[in-house]
Amino acid sequence: MVNKEDLARIVGPERVVTDEDALIAYSFDSSFVKGERPECIVKPRGLDEVRQLVRLANDQGFCLVPCSSRGPRSRGDTVPAVPGAVIVDLSEMKAIRRVDQRNKVAMIEPGVTFAELQAEVEKHGLRLEMPLTPRQNKSVVASLLEREPTTGPKYNWDAIDPLCCLELVFGTGDLFRTGNAAGPGSLDEQWASGQAQKVPMGPAQTDIARLIQGAQGSLGIATWATIKLELMPALRKGYFVAGQTPDELIDFTYKILWRKLPDACLILNNVNLAAIAGLDQEDLPPWTLLYSLSGLTHLPEERLDYMEQDLAEIARELNLTPRRNLKGVAADRMVDLVSRPSEEPYWKLRKRGACQDVFFLTTLDRTPEFIRAMDGLSRELGFARENMGAYIQPIRHGTGCHLEFNLMHDPTSPEDTDKVPVLFDRAGRACLDLGGFFSRPYGPWSKLAYAQCPDTVSALRKIKNIFDPRGVMNPGKLCFNKEA
Amino acid sequence: MNSLPQDMYRELADALGEENISQEPAVMDGYAWQPAMNLTNQKWIPRPAAVVLPATTGEVQAIVRTCNQHRVKFKAHSTGWAAWGGPSQEGELQIDLRRMNRIIELDEKNKFAVVEPYVCCAQLQAEAMKKGLNCHIIGAGPNTSPLASATSGWGYGGTGLSTGYSGRNPLGVEWVLPDGEVLRLGSPGSGAGWFSGDGPGPSLRGIMRGFSGTQGSLGVFTKCAIKLFPWYGPREPRVEGVLLDVKTEPPETEKMFFVVAPSFQKYADISYEIGNAEIAYWFCRSPLNAGVDLFMPRAGDRIFESKPLRALLKAFQHLGVALLSSPSRREVEYQEKVLRKIALEHGCILLDLSKAPGYGFWWWLMGVRSIPTALTFRAGGDFLTSYGSPVEYDNAIRQAEVAKQCKQKYIDQGFFKDDMSDIGWGGIYEGTANWGHCETAAMFDRRDGKAEGRSRYLEDSAETTVQHTLGLGLSNLPPGAWKVYGPKLHNYHLWEARIKKAFDPNSVGDEQWYVPSIDEIEQEASSAEERR
Amino acid sequence: MNDLAALKNDMEGCSRCSHCKWVPMAQIKSWRFAKVCPSVDRYNFHAYSGGGKLIAANSILEGRSEITEAVMEIIYRCQLCGACQVSCQAYRDDIDLADVLLDLRARCVSEGYVLPEHLLMIESMKKEDNTLGLLKADRGAWAKDLDLLDINTQQVEVLFHAGCRYSYDEDLRQTVRNWVRLFRNAGVDLGAAGPEESCCGGRAFEMGYQGEMRNFAEDMIARIKASGASLLVTPCSDCYYTFKYLYPKNGLDPGVKILHAVEYADLLIKQGRLQPGKCAPMRVTYHDPCHLGRRGEIYKAGWSGSNKLHRPVRFKQMGNLGIFDPPRDVIRSIPGIDLVEMERIREYSWCCGAGGGVLEAFPEFAGWTARDRIEEARSVGAEAIVTACPWCERVFKDELKQSGDPMKVYDVIDLIAASWGG
Repeated sequence: MVNKEDLARIVGPERVVTDEDALIAYSFDSSFVKGERPECIVKPRGLDEVRQLVRLANDQGFCLVPCSSRGPRSRGDTVPAVPGAVIVDLSEMKAIRRVDQRNKVAMIEPGVTFAELQAEVEKHGLRLEMPLTPRQNKSVVASLLEREPTTGPKYNWDAIDPLCCLELVFGTGDLFRTGNAAGPGSLDEQWASGQAQKVPMGPAQTDIARLIQGAQGSLGIATWATIKLELMPALRKGYFVAGQTPDELIDFTYKILWRKLPDACLILNNVNLAAIAGLDQEDLPPWTLLYSLSGLTHLPEERLDYMEQDLAEIARELNLTPRRNLKGVAADRMVDLVSRPSEEPYWKLRKRGACQDVFFLTTLDRTPEFIRAMDGLSRELGFARENMGAYIQPIRHGTGCHLEFNLMHDPTSPEDTDKVPVLFDRAGRACLDLGGFFSRPYGPWSKLAYAQCPDTVSALRKIKNIFDPRGVMNPGKLCFNKEA
Repeated sequence: MNSLPQDMYRELADALGEENISQEPAVMDGYAWQPAMNLTNQKWIPRPAAVVLPATTGEVQAIVRTCNQHRVKFKAHSTGWAAWGGPSQEGELQIDLRRMNRIIELDEKNKFAVVEPYVCCAQLQAEAMKKGLNCHIIGAGPNTSPLASATSGWGYGGTGLSTGYSGRNPLGVEWVLPDGEVLRLGSPGSGAGWFSGDGPGPSLRGIMRGFSGTQGSLGVFTKCAIKLFPWYGPREPRVEGVLLDVKTEPPETEKMFFVVAPSFQKYADISYEIGNAEIAYWFCRSPLNAGVDLFMPRAGDRIFESKPLRALLKAFQHLGVALLSSPSRREVEYQEKVLRKIALEHGCILLDLSKAPGYGFWWWLMGVRSIPTALTFRAGGDFLTSYGSPVEYDNAIRQAEVAKQCKQKYIDQGFFKDDMSDIGWGGIYEGTANWGHCETAAMFDRRDGKAEGRSRYLEDSAETTVQHTLGLGLSNLPPGAWKVYGPKLHNYHLWEARIKKAFDPNSVGDEQWYVPSIDEIEQEASSAEERR
Repeated sequence: MNDLAALKNDMEGCSRCSHCKWVPMAQIKSWRFAKVCPSVDRYNFHAYSGGGKLIAANSILEGRSEITEAVMEIIYRCQLCGACQVSCQAYRDDIDLADVLLDLRARCVSEGYVLPEHLLMIESMKKEDNTLGLLKADRGAWAKDLDLLDINTQQVEVLFHAGCRYSYDEDLRQTVRNWVRLFRNAGVDLGAAGPEESCCGGRAFEMGYQGEMRNFAEDMIARIKASGASLLVTPCSDCYYTFKYLYPKNGLDPGVKILHAVEYADLLIKQGRLQPGKCAPMRVTYHDPCHLGRRGEIYKAGWSGSNKLHRPVRFKQMGNLGIFDPPRDVIRSIPGIDLVEMERIREYSWCCGAGGGVLEAFPEFAGWTARDRIEEARSVGAEAIVTACPWCERVFKDELKQSGDPMKVYDVIDLIAASWGG
């Protein structure tokens, strides 16, 4: 049972929140996860306080739920599964500690949002590889730890990217730094020697950062992260390629990825394209590939020029026509929109006020199967096709693909509130059965996903037992029990 | 010398067939001879008690379970090159994965291949190239196992600008844990194919390896899906010759350049520029004096004795080899323009190798098949490597500088062949990522009996990595290194030791190149305390 | 007699890189045909590879192990094809693998570890001057009615040495007779020793009976000298290798120019003294016999020293100076024949399986090796394998017959003869 005075001694009394509305706000989110009301919220300011909090949790036997983003949240990962939890609100740890222009890396605290970081790095001529138009107050660190896909497959070499290193506190209260941030040498010494905490591997023979990613806060708390940055291009041009079906766009996408030509490269259906761009989806083709080409550090116009010509040749071979505009929106603008945090209201909520996302990993060539399955399901359940967004994001140079369906619905409509949970549930099962890989098993997906891989469950429980033996970190998530 | 318990031998023979197990001493010594990268400087390692040749994952499981039952340690290897492939003590079982040698799948569109342990990089590359793809080949050469370097070892490669790093290239993995259970990482564990190695939830690739793998300490990897990368050259090139006589005609869209920078700093600068400009298939440092040693070692002996010739070679010390490769002439022309611009702006010399006679030799050997490392045998018969941590490229180049000073002392004392000391090899990797490595090898003839001095060099070089904050790399990996570095780096060794205990409760995975179980470390610490 | 201990430095050099198991890395073109060592490919334990046997030799020398029946089997389940040496010496200069393998066999014999099948061959050689267990008196029967000059009674310019296999194998009789006809058509006056021809002794050396070869060599050299010949031509690749490599390596000088029959044919064609005819269209592939190709490279005498790291490259037996182009040139000169190359060719060719005493002692292994080669020939669309060695032809024919495979086997001379309507 948590002793709030002890908490106050660590973070300061003004940073222990017991306001009922605030607590209730953490007991649910827009997902279907049913949660418990937390006991209180604490707002640590730095590593030392976080460590003390974790040690206290171990001593007193209460659990911690770390949370870096301000709401509205939607995955259910920060909704406590057990009563008496303490929310560790990191959203006020907002320091952008360092931007290293030469090595293109930034060190940030968990409360830094995409908007804040983007504004800062742009001053250095740099940019972020970002997930698709994230919400305004989404924490960058949270996004990194969730392995959210980013829009530029060329820059995404490994699942961990663009995360580099982490400073974290395990569920035991131990401090750890991952990658070449671990040392040898202090951070200052590393900086003096030309290092910048950019290399994610190690130290030595483990990649603990990979364990923390995807853990939904159940193994430890990150107090800073470094994120790989890219150069702001000197020139950038966007293109659309329209298709009646996603099939028409897939070969072209494979070919341009093989050539490593595009930076941003993603496919949206008309519902999502319209939602992001603020257009009428009836005016848009059913499916659109959006990609960008850049002129970089040297001879930027010439770079764009040859790339355009090469791409035009590839498109001709496949009877496709890259366009600079669609009705109502220029591709340049669209590229800009997908590369920035969303304006309010968050784009997924614009159409109908609420949205449930169904997403998983597959390969690009298989996406049509899943799309057909979802079409079938939505027809069967009477969910209007024009309310289902779809987003295809090639990842890791195109070796895999994030496929996402956005079920936009009216939270005040009884019809929707009846239908959407059923569709969400059926969609998850159907896509799993078709071979979708739910690598980020939020909420009800965790049961489905882990039922497929008992060997992984067994291994993860061993990991949990090592890094959080007392089970204080966000219990009941993933395949971990609610009790230690 | 320990042999296997008889009943254990019998169980294994029954499971695998008599022809797939041996206890014959001369056969065992084929696994005990491990002079390469033997950081103890011995040539023999402990002879295994027996060697087994499984053909399937099921057979590997049977072997591992038997080891657990009888409490016999095991060590598995793919190609088995280097001391970490074999046992660290008498009485262990050697698992030779030679019979598991298939390319199970090569997915052209999604750019990955699923391989078994005994596929070598050259095989994978040859098949991948037919589909317009390439694989990452580590510096040790195309005779190595891509599965082994992706799951268990480390693996920089000259093509890293385009093909990354071995440890960042695995996707789905099939893994027989030290307790005999099979763990499939990522999508194969969920019956969803091989394209992803992470999840659901936390990625267990995190316990499989870090910068380096566990070198066989945490079980046996039986399949690995490995990322492939675009290949823009000819799909079935016609090559004559076997190595030093190689001839081939690369297409005009494969252009190789020597870029010679005037200083360490400038070399780092142009590397960053090349990465940021997103040009080049690869860019890797390779001082010309290193090339002399590899390609003409006898002449090298004479050349290095000549002060004027040394001075001439010194002018080419900061030499990087760049390969421009594209199916598009326009793209290659653009990239060449940019490369020339970068070279000019930084006061570098640019030599267009594609115009030189015998260009095909350089292109195929260095640029594509990544063979030169094997030529390090020619200079002295053997070699070791040092420094080479994965770091931001400024620091990588700093390592070359520090290595030069450190190694020179040992050349002066006759422990290493004189090669002008700085042969720092390594490139800038992963496109725009600005990280890379630079390792410094040293050539010697192991038969000269001067092993002591080489051990001292390794210790010395390791100390300088701490002194100058040069990351944790190849100098810091010998057995037991965790005792020195663990406490300096957040006690990583204790976390690894807990992982070891959790996944290898009976401690049957030979731990020499990883860490022992936490129980053993704590017991040792407690005994040490009592002794005090 | 060669001494295993003298090669300890070679053994010590091995870093266990396993290149000896693979086609040289620069030449690997597929997954399927990347392996080059039949022994380790078949039996898998590292000891079966070239490097593995090197280590075994070192282990024996250091007293860590000894030759046993099992170890002997490992040493002799090896065709001594030399592919391991080519791959090893592509990368390093200081290991003469083939020498170690040969001396390892000599050590086996000296310690009494002999295979009964090999013993039979040696006995046959001693009694009847051939490796096949047949009568010496019948040796010249292959040349009946060919009116070859008898070197026992006449001096000749060119001495034709048929070799044991061609002398006795009736299935290959037409081939060896065609060789004689070819040279006669070119105006060459050929002589032969008839029943007085005896084994070159090379096989004995390979099996570890190094002293026996010397006996046969001295006999051979005397006979050559007595014949007055300035040129010795042989259609047998094993004999070719013995004359070009083993004899000079052991300080024995045949005292005469040596050409393989296919080399001579190539020369005669290029000199305009021979004109092939035309064949019905056929796609063929050429199998490089080990003993004509990489092992047929002349012995590079002239260097001595203790540190092979200082040995100039020109003294390395890399195998690339073997006979590779003449047979190909001959085949290409025949209209109608479409020559396609396999992946493993020239000095990195896959062995047929017959050599080193394997055909006699381990016929199943020989057949297994041949099968792999036949698969490779099929993979390039060849209807026939063409070669220039009776031992290769024997093992391929046997394997194809056993399996009922329609692939054909020809010697180069068979194609020429066919082009003339023969």
